[in-house]
Amino acid sequence: MSRSQHELVNAQFGPQANAYVASPVHATGADLERIGALAAANRPVRALDLGTGGGHVAYVLAPHAGTVVACDLSSDMVAAVEREAVRRSLQNVTGTVAPAERLPFSDAEFDLAASRFSAHHWADVARGLRETRRVLKAGGTAVFVDVVGPPVAALDSHLQAVELLRDPSHVRDYRPSEWTAMLEEAGFRINEVQTWKLRMEFASWTTRIATPPASVAAIRSLQTGGAATTTAYFAIEPDGSFEIDVAWFGATAI
Amino acid sequence: MSERNRDGQPDPKLLELLVCPLTKSQLIYDRENNELISKVAKLAFPIREGIPIMLPSEAREIE
Repeated sequence: MSRSQHELVNAQFGPQANAYVASPVHATGADLERIGALAAANRPVRALDLGTGGGHVAYVLAPHAGTVVACDLSSDMVAAVEREAVRRSLQNVTGTVAPAERLPFSDAEFDLAASRFSAHHWADVARGLRETRRVLKAGGTAVFVDVVGPPVAALDSHLQAVELLRDPSHVRDYRPSEWTAMLEEAGFRINEVQTWKLRMEFASWTTRIATPPASVAAIRSLQTGGAATTTAYFAIEPDGSFEIDVAWFGATAI
Repeated sequence: MSERNRDGQPDPKLLELLVCPLTKSQLIYDRENNELISKVAKLAFPIREGIPIMLPSEAREIE
């Protein structure tokens, strides 16, 4: 049976919606605080959280925005985010199901768009970025945070392989150079690129998305049977926990 | 918002913003069927638990 990217994402994330609302990796982070600070400085009338997942970007935008639209391909995720927003007394978060590549908004409706740990799932990231630019006002602020590919081909292959084994809806962790080229092509001026390491605790990394045991075993096999340079680069620990590269791309809609 | 979800009605603020994802044309809210109608694309997008599902693959074709 072959499934569309939408069906894959829905199958992966629908049953796990609450796990992503609760996930510490997703619910915390200096980058998340920075997105909140950016919204506090910009006071957007309308802000867009693209690929809202557990809704954590929407929750930090909401206190500083008129309306926050939380978009995701998974209706279960969007429903979980709306429930959590109500629980947090954030009345201005509203959710819709839509793909980044085909946003259901007119041009220039938003003052700020943010997307965190989502673009690696998009079927056509270049198109999703062009759509993000289209719905932003000229001069609008955009922030993209995502896992990025390492600069060496063998390391890049290892990362994409373990990501795909963990989650069949994984598309690609793009390199920072690919990100900046795609953002510029989409009509953004890049203001800042910042990268850092994020430790993924193996058990929660795989449990969160319900990776089947055979795939967990395959990931472990890649981790233990790989080159020493791979082990060192990803700081792979005996239990499979490891470090990934994450990047922040701050941009302005031209 | 909790009130909205109880009766399955979409958020009026969101309805002001939404357009057809295919044609970017205006949508008409059909209260009776709880759908968003794109006359240009001839599609009706469903609203489930108050959440507009703006996916062409989930939309119903209309005359």
